[in-house]
Amino acid sequence: MARMKFFCDVERCIECNGCVTACKNANERPWGVNRRRVVTIKDGEPGERSLSVACMHCNDAPCKAVCPVDVFYITDDGVVLHDKERCIGCGYCLFACPFGAPQFPKQGAFGTRGKMDKCTFCGGGPVADNSEEEFKLYGANRLAQGKLPLCAEMCSTKALLAGDAAVISDIFRQRVFNRGASVFLTGVAQQKAALGAARGLEGKSSSKD
Amino acid sequence: MKHTTAAVIQDTGEARQRRKRYMLWSFLLLIAMTLVLPLIPYAVAYVQDGSAVRNPGSELWREVRQRDQAVIGQTQADNVDAGILINKRGEEWRLFRMKKLIPFGAILIGGILGLIILFYLIRGTLRLPGGRSGKRILRFTLNERIVHWFTVVIFWILALSGLITLYGRYVLVPLLGPEGFSVTASASLMAHNTLGPIFLVAILALFFTFVKNNFFARGDLKWLTKAGGLLGGHASAGRFNAGEKIWFWLAVILGLALCVSGLILDFPNWGQGRVVFEWSHVVHGISAVVMIAVSFGHIYLGTVGMEGSLESMTTGYVDATWAEAHHDRWYEEVRNAGEIEEPGQSDLSGGVASGGVAQSRSTD
Repeated sequence: MARMKFFCDVERCIECNGCVTACKNANERPWGVNRRRVVTIKDGEPGERSLSVACMHCNDAPCKAVCPVDVFYITDDGVVLHDKERCIGCGYCLFACPFGAPQFPKQGAFGTRGKMDKCTFCGGGPVADNSEEEFKLYGANRLAQGKLPLCAEMCSTKALLAGDAAVISDIFRQRVFNRGASVFLTGVAQQKAALGAARGLEGKSSSKD
Repeated sequence: MKHTTAAVIQDTGEARQRRKRYMLWSFLLLIAMTLVLPLIPYAVAYVQDGSAVRNPGSELWREVRQRDQAVIGQTQADNVDAGILINKRGEEWRLFRMKKLIPFGAILIGGILGLIILFYLIRGTLRLPGGRSGKRILRFTLNERIVHWFTVVIFWILALSGLITLYGRYVLVPLLGPEGFSVTASASLMAHNTLGPIFLVAILALFFTFVKNNFFARGDLKWLTKAGGLLGGHASAGRFNAGEKIWFWLAVILGLALCVSGLILDFPNWGQGRVVFEWSHVVHGISAVVMIAVSFGHIYLGTVGMEGSLESMTTGYVDATWAEAHHDRWYEEVRNAGEIEEPGQSDLSGGVASGGVAQSRSTD
């Protein structure tokens, strides 16, 4: 089976927050639950770069390791999912996650957080695929429909890639090759250095004949 | 022709050697230039900025990974810590919980419990020397007993619910099943989070009630070197012996550490970041495990370990023999003040008629 991964190309991300909007639209999560966010480093300074980040679907997921009730499981596609029915809302997954992926509907007094919610790689949850219950608890299940996560599908610059890790890394390797050795150019020509179109993206063109 | 022939002959000799030398040196010079020339922009930039120019790509990832300092980016998400891309303390906290707190906590709690059971099997209950005298001494007032038992109840609710959260995944999931344990864990988390702040009240009450007799004094060190008489021999002590004083200060210090870290963990609405949660949890976990382990020793000596101890916390009274055997200096003080109640005397001062009183009467 494929091993699903997200990849965000910092040289392409323009901080449009389209992925965040797409995620909200696909999954209809409540206010304050941000499965995906765009973070800009050195905002307004030379060397500014943006990164779109959500759950990284780790092979050795820290959230899965520390969960006191063991609600996490990793699917055959390598997607980290969790059973919300059993979640007790302790927040340990949030402490352990390096990326800040776990979200809670509230941050109340006396540790009332509610059930944890996080990016499912648009893969739903442990209930029946594309049922009403699944959408209410976990959001969209696009994987079961043979589609990839909406955030990556809607990325305007194709900075955010989602899919089989082998395919994603091939696309990125091609991009890096085309950009050339940027080490000696000290950042000036990193975006301009494409020598040819990246292979693997030809079929994505919107023009038809 | 002659001339050219001479030149060719000359070329095969000294001139060829010279040409070889030129080629070698120019080759070395070429290598040196290819190595050094690309570094010139860096050198110029270093002189101008006073710092080494870094590769912008690696510099970005150094910031994302927070290698040099904490870097908080800009983001539209309004969650706490949303601007932090990678929090490397998360993995450290995971390793602490999974590789240190869980295994070493189990070893400490289980080990102390095992040692106590072993000690009980060897020594059994420490009997009163010469049996009961029937004379009673008021050891704990009603106020002191209420504070003690209030702390006991809160402490054990929190300790058990905390242990369920820490070890339930390994111990209770096989017994109750994933769904059943989820209900138990949810209930214990709720109890822990709701009743937790009350522990601060209990610890403060405990401190102010018992602090007056718990300052370390002369004779405590001697008591400790004799291990409190557990290994044979008599150890002199006042109202509280050095062991009880250590337990008191341990309970107060660990209790306050538990309360402060617990309040930080219990109120995410104050907007604290993940790193604060992680450190609080480290403090909370270590303090809790140590306090639970040490409390076993206290419970043992207060119940089955020593005859006549438990009644001091239930009825408030101890037998005069018990006082003389375990707290001789306190016994002297009480005797000099004339506060020993003779067998026939009514228990008006105690106020509560209870099992201990009935027991002391029946032995008359």
